[in-house]
Amino acid sequence: MDSKLIKEQEIKRNINNAFRSAEVTVVRRRRISVRFRAGILPAFISYLKEYMGFVHLVMISCVDWLEDNQFELVYHLWSYEEHIHAMIKIRLDRDNAQIKSLSSLWPHAETYEREIHEMFGVDFEGHPGLTDLILEDWSDLPPMRRDFDTRAFVAETFEWRKGREDAQDVRQTISARYGETIPEFKKDK
Amino acid sequence: MAALLTKEKETTLYLGPQHPGITGNMMVELKLTGDTIQRAKTHVGYLHRAFEKLMEERLWMQCFPIVCRICVPEPDPNEENLARAIEEIEGREVPERAQYIRVLMLELARITAYLMWMGGQSGSMGLYTMPQWSIGDRDYILDLFEELTGGRVYHMYIWAGGVRRDLPVGFKDRVRKVMDYIESRLVDYDRLLFENAIFLKRAQGIGIIDKEKALEWGVVGPPLRGCGIAHDVRKDEPYEVYDQLDFELITHEGNDVYSRAMVRRKEIEQSIHIIRQVLDKMPSGPIHNPGPNPLKWKVPAGDAYVRTESARGEFGYYVVSDGSLKPRRVHVRGPAYVHGIALLEHLLQGANVADVSFIMNSLGTCPPEIER
Repeated sequence: MDSKLIKEQEIKRNINNAFRSAEVTVVRRRRISVRFRAGILPAFISYLKEYMGFVHLVMISCVDWLEDNQFELVYHLWSYEEHIHAMIKIRLDRDNAQIKSLSSLWPHAETYEREIHEMFGVDFEGHPGLTDLILEDWSDLPPMRRDFDTRAFVAETFEWRKGREDAQDVRQTISARYGETIPEFKKDK
Repeated sequence: MAALLTKEKETTLYLGPQHPGITGNMMVELKLTGDTIQRAKTHVGYLHRAFEKLMEERLWMQCFPIVCRICVPEPDPNEENLARAIEEIEGREVPERAQYIRVLMLELARITAYLMWMGGQSGSMGLYTMPQWSIGDRDYILDLFEELTGGRVYHMYIWAGGVRRDLPVGFKDRVRKVMDYIESRLVDYDRLLFENAIFLKRAQGIGIIDKEKALEWGVVGPPLRGCGIAHDVRKDEPYEVYDQLDFELITHEGNDVYSRAMVRRKEIEQSIHIIRQVLDKMPSGPIHNPGPNPLKWKVPAGDAYVRTESARGEFGYYVVSDGSLKPRRVHVRGPAYVHGIALLEHLLQGANVADVSFIMNSLGTCPPEIER
């Protein structure tokens, strides 16, 4: 075993003593990765926060694994004492994505959860307000999902300005549509 | 008249999306009684360009010109983070000279970001001489960037495996000259802003972060060090060659806007000190460890989280690859995401309406990195 990874191995042992089902991997120095089940996540995270020194919630990421029909939530925690970064990975069923909110542990978890709810459609139980964060009045499929077709959305929503696809003079199109007169330049004559 | 004084009505004020002194557009909805803020709610979404989604449809190489647009005042941590995340997944080595050049870029970018912040911070309290000076001086560093990379603001210079080109002839001397100039200007900055009686009066005791709760609220960077808590990614988890360089960790007691300002002020000196060391210690050698053809470049399946200390605090990238030509997911952690929404809403409670952009600026709120 690499002698430099003593701290990481110790944390792995401690986690496994408390939560047997946690699959802990030491990725490299200062990085551990934990696979865990969604059911008792708040208990696990609050154990890491209160007893293992992982006080800093770096961020919550969501990765869409469309092939497996699953979302992967990654909770990034950082321990200022040990200088170790833990990635807690949780797989959720894509059709019924539900998990308990962590907003009681960290106030800023609320913002991350709001964004994941908006962008992926994951439902956070116990969140004080899953309102829109970035998007406004969005009724389509949550846009960060892999099956959301950005190109089709753009083609439906936005109008291509004529004149680009057939190398036509854009000034002609604009003048025809808005009735503007084209200023005359010496070169045109 | 008596009725007005005894019973104050709550009014709603929508401040923004245009603000004096912050780089980007975001709105703050304020509930006021008189000019005291009772509650504040931030509304973001004016700058959403879906960079993270765009990157899922781009080749790995095509992501580099996108990421630097995520933060306007300091784009280099983005490039460096993406490059380092890819290198970590691939296990690609970076030549030592390239690492030194990256540190040089990051520290120059930090000084430009602090100069820009100085302008914003003083502009938001009505002191408009400072922006003229500091943005003017920032341009000398932008000239260096232009010479080295071809771009003044967005550089697209750091890429996976190293940097794009080597330092031009005589570049080191020009950097030294600009650093000497900036250092000589610090005296003027002190007289104009940091020792200014109006600034002291405005900034002290305003926007106080509870020291006990700072870590729990996710405060990072200068606001955290302004609470007297010494944490810096450059020291906690040294990246590139920061562990071979000598610099001090600046902290300041006070928890208010003033202490955050003093942290940044002293960090400019540290950055100049780092840059001089980098120029002295920089070894010769290759600057790039090339990878495969960018059009056929597949990054092996895996994920990595990397972090950088930017001028606003911990900047992080979580990159997931599924082994294909394009990234599976790139998730950006900007410090402003935490500072600018949850923390700002909290700090604005009980503040004066005139201090909103003042506090916002001291936290380093940067809307483009909130929305990506």
